[in-house]
Amino acid sequence: MTALAEKANIITSSLDFIVNWGRKNSLWPFPYGTACCAIEFMSTETARYDLSRIGSEYVRFTPRQSDVLLVAGTITYKQAPILKRIYEQMAEPRWVIAMGACASSGGFYDAYCTVPGIDHIIPVDVYIGGCPPRPESFFDAMFQLQEKIQDESYMKARAERVKEQLEMIKAKTAECKENAEKAVKNAVSCGVQTIKEGKDNLMKKVAFWKE
Amino acid sequence: MADCEKLLAILEEKFGAKRDLADKWGFTVLVERENLHALMLFLRDDQSAKFDVLLDIVGVDYLGFKDYEGPRFAVEYVLKTMKAPVRRMRVKVLVSETDCKVPSIADLYAIANWQEREVFDQYGVVFEGHPDLRRLLNHAEFEGHPLRKDYPAHKRQWLSTNDYLLPELEARLESKGYKIVARSKEVMPNDDEYLEGSRKV
Repeated sequence: MTALAEKANIITSSLDFIVNWGRKNSLWPFPYGTACCAIEFMSTETARYDLSRIGSEYVRFTPRQSDVLLVAGTITYKQAPILKRIYEQMAEPRWVIAMGACASSGGFYDAYCTVPGIDHIIPVDVYIGGCPPRPESFFDAMFQLQEKIQDESYMKARAERVKEQLEMIKAKTAECKENAEKAVKNAVSCGVQTIKEGKDNLMKKVAFWKE
Repeated sequence: MADCEKLLAILEEKFGAKRDLADKWGFTVLVERENLHALMLFLRDDQSAKFDVLLDIVGVDYLGFKDYEGPRFAVEYVLKTMKAPVRRMRVKVLVSETDCKVPSIADLYAIANWQEREVFDQYGVVFEGHPDLRRLLNHAEFEGHPLRKDYPAHKRQWLSTNDYLLPELEARLESKGYKIVARSKEVMPNDDEYLEGSRKV
């Protein structure tokens, strides 16, 4: 014990805190860049602004390895199924940032071919205004996302996720209990019967020997 | 300008073309669609013309145009030459709504292939003799032609799945002498599995 304490490699914390801390400081973006907003995102990644300061070190070009879907640019109706499919391929937990006016609302493309905001297709966590937004706005969005993640509860989400399973286990346990009780009752009543019979036999024998 | 007058005289005589007076500052000729192919061939190859670049093919919808009488649609060919400086001209064909057809010039200019596809996509003008007349910009499930004036401006059309371009790509590769040896499962997906979650409900 003393040796462990000297090394000081133990901390106590709540699970939610530690999970959120890990998640919010390693948000890997998936850049879904279709327009000029993607150029601004590139400069956000460069040394001048340096997104890796807040842990978004890697830009992953596969949805399987990324946490944040960054939609930067105009989404047309032809593009929409592809975006939806990319979103579906991402593993949970996943977040979405709509960067710029086009991704948020369709922008000035009030036309037959442009989706008026990607929230028609997928849920969005943070919207960024601007055409295109500056890298500072993007940082702000990341900070907001971090705040949002801080309020999430891993345990609550987990409870929600395993709710069905838990209920099933509870039902099964109750059933087993009932069965066991029944068996015990049966056994007890059987035992009582045997004792009664033995007593009767004994009484008969006593009566016989008395005579 | 003297150049234009000379050329116009030849075109008038050979193909019955007229100068479009609505174009005050440029040089535009109106031609019947029966003579269009021959006229374009002449403009491309003849020594006096030599219009060797087709810059654009433009569709026009005159529905609701102020003080206009005549066929509803027009197709314009914008031409340029590399042989003389600043010599450009336009060729215009008027098309009625009921008989919306124009002969294709995809065999004269390679670029006309896609430009005609675009005009077909946006205006619904059919180019007869085109090798592969499909939509170019709008998706496969799109109905109607969006740049027509009577297309509702706020109508939106959802696409239920990605445009699947692989068959086209394979055909193209095969035409270049490649051979498809095998396809992976991902390339030949089960439709239901592949479209799950992306289908229109």
